[in-house]
Amino acid sequence: MTLTAFDELLGRRVSMRALAVLRVPVGFVTLLHLRPFLERARDGRIYRDLFHEPYASWYPELPRALYVTLLWIAALAAFAMTIGLATRIATVITFAAVTYNLFVSTTHMHNNRAYLVIVLAALAVAPCGREFSVDAHIRSRRGRPLLDPNAPGWPLWLLRFEASVVYGASGVSKLLDPDWFGGRVAWERMLDQRANLENSPLPDWAVSVLTDRTFNAGSAKLVVLTEIFIAGALWSRRTRYLAVWVAVVFHVAIELSASVQVFSYLAISTLLIWAVPSTRDRVLIVDPAAPNGRRLLTTVRALDWLARFRVEPAPPGAPLQVVDRDGTMFERGDATAFVLSRLPLTAWFALPLVPFARRTRTRSRAIRAS
Amino acid sequence: MRVIGRRIVVVAVVLVQVMLVGRAYSAAHKEFGFQMFSEASEWRADIVRVTTKGERIPIETPWSGYSWNALAGTRGLSNPGVRHHADAGIDNQLAFLENALDYVAVNTPRDGETAYLEAIVTYWRNGHDPETVVFRSEPRAEAS
Repeated sequence: MTLTAFDELLGRRVSMRALAVLRVPVGFVTLLHLRPFLERARDGRIYRDLFHEPYASWYPELPRALYVTLLWIAALAAFAMTIGLATRIATVITFAAVTYNLFVSTTHMHNNRAYLVIVLAALAVAPCGREFSVDAHIRSRRGRPLLDPNAPGWPLWLLRFEASVVYGASGVSKLLDPDWFGGRVAWERMLDQRANLENSPLPDWAVSVLTDRTFNAGSAKLVVLTEIFIAGALWSRRTRYLAVWVAVVFHVAIELSASVQVFSYLAISTLLIWAVPSTRDRVLIVDPAAPNGRRLLTTVRALDWLARFRVEPAPPGAPLQVVDRDGTMFERGDATAFVLSRLPLTAWFALPLVPFARRTRTRSRAIRAS
Repeated sequence: MRVIGRRIVVVAVVLVQVMLVGRAYSAAHKEFGFQMFSEASEWRADIVRVTTKGERIPIETPWSGYSWNALAGTRGLSNPGVRHHADAGIDNQLAFLENALDYVAVNTPRDGETAYLEAIVTYWRNGHDPETVVFRSEPRAEAS
């Protein structure tokens, strides 16, 4: 890649819709992250009432009252960020406060918090409040033109890089560790959890399998390869949907089996950034008078947060149709499955149906993907 | 100017992130290294206060109005005499424990008898044979 092409990639104007939508769950995740700090502060305890280590002697330690105030300001800013009120300022304050709190002591450092800081940094530098926000609603009500929802793509590309690194670094570190790749770590962790497993609703044979050394030798390799697969497959449009689907399963499994603070919620939410950064470039042609069409239309209006579809009316009695951005057309039930596979809340359930959907190629590309 | 600034920021972030991932293979706390569930290691420690008279008093017994758990009950350091899982790896846990000894030594001004704290740590890295390491806090200025 030449320097010119690199600069063009960084400066290419793309839709910030995915970051605008991501802002909402990340705001909630930030509130969840701050909750234990605020609860302890309410009880009169902060980090320096017990063992802590500043990262650097020059790092400013705030007076107690100011530190607690900062935590509350962070929570208010995270709430404002969630609803998109004074979004840029709120996002910058949230990022600054959460970052300050992370580095105030080595005892605050966790992988999920580091990842949260990275995601907040991306949101702070990207114009993620121009849509899907109270700010946009206020502008609209005042009759002022909406701000351009497109912006240079570099914050999005950087966040994709970081998201990929999270999976890749984790997978490669396990691959290089003979104890991990050989299954010893997974086996020891299972043995450590044996009492919990035996007290769970799992049948005896399942507990026996889960604590079997040979089983863990295989499952460890599966975990390692899954992480590396997700890290790589997210980059290709051909494998991205599979990677997202696998990543959701992966995170749900982690959430059910381990205590990882806000990591699962954050990581699943951040999968939104892998949506192609263009909007309304698929056409949903639907007869609003038909019951099925009406239901799908209602679903799309409520759940198409990433603005994937442009809706056009079909003549009465015409079948439901969807034209993908490359001109591929789906009809009837196949169209419904395709639409649901592109909505964030239903995608995981509908994606497995799409490979089996019948499709036809239209003569010309109705819409060109950016 | 904006184009060059953008280029610098992106390249810098990528380089720093790659460096942090590499650094995590040798750093105790592995900041931004994203090595999740890296180990199944366990540890326990016999921690004592060694007084100026040479007595070795376990920290399980509160002293001068202090208790170990109230001073260092974070990041898995509570009840060190009990065998624990090292949540973020054994190197991370040992680094925290070593620095916690210094923290407790410095932050117990009412204690006039303890010369230093000592921890004899036994750890099992991923279930392998146990290894032992001894940490000592800095000598305490308050000891008379």
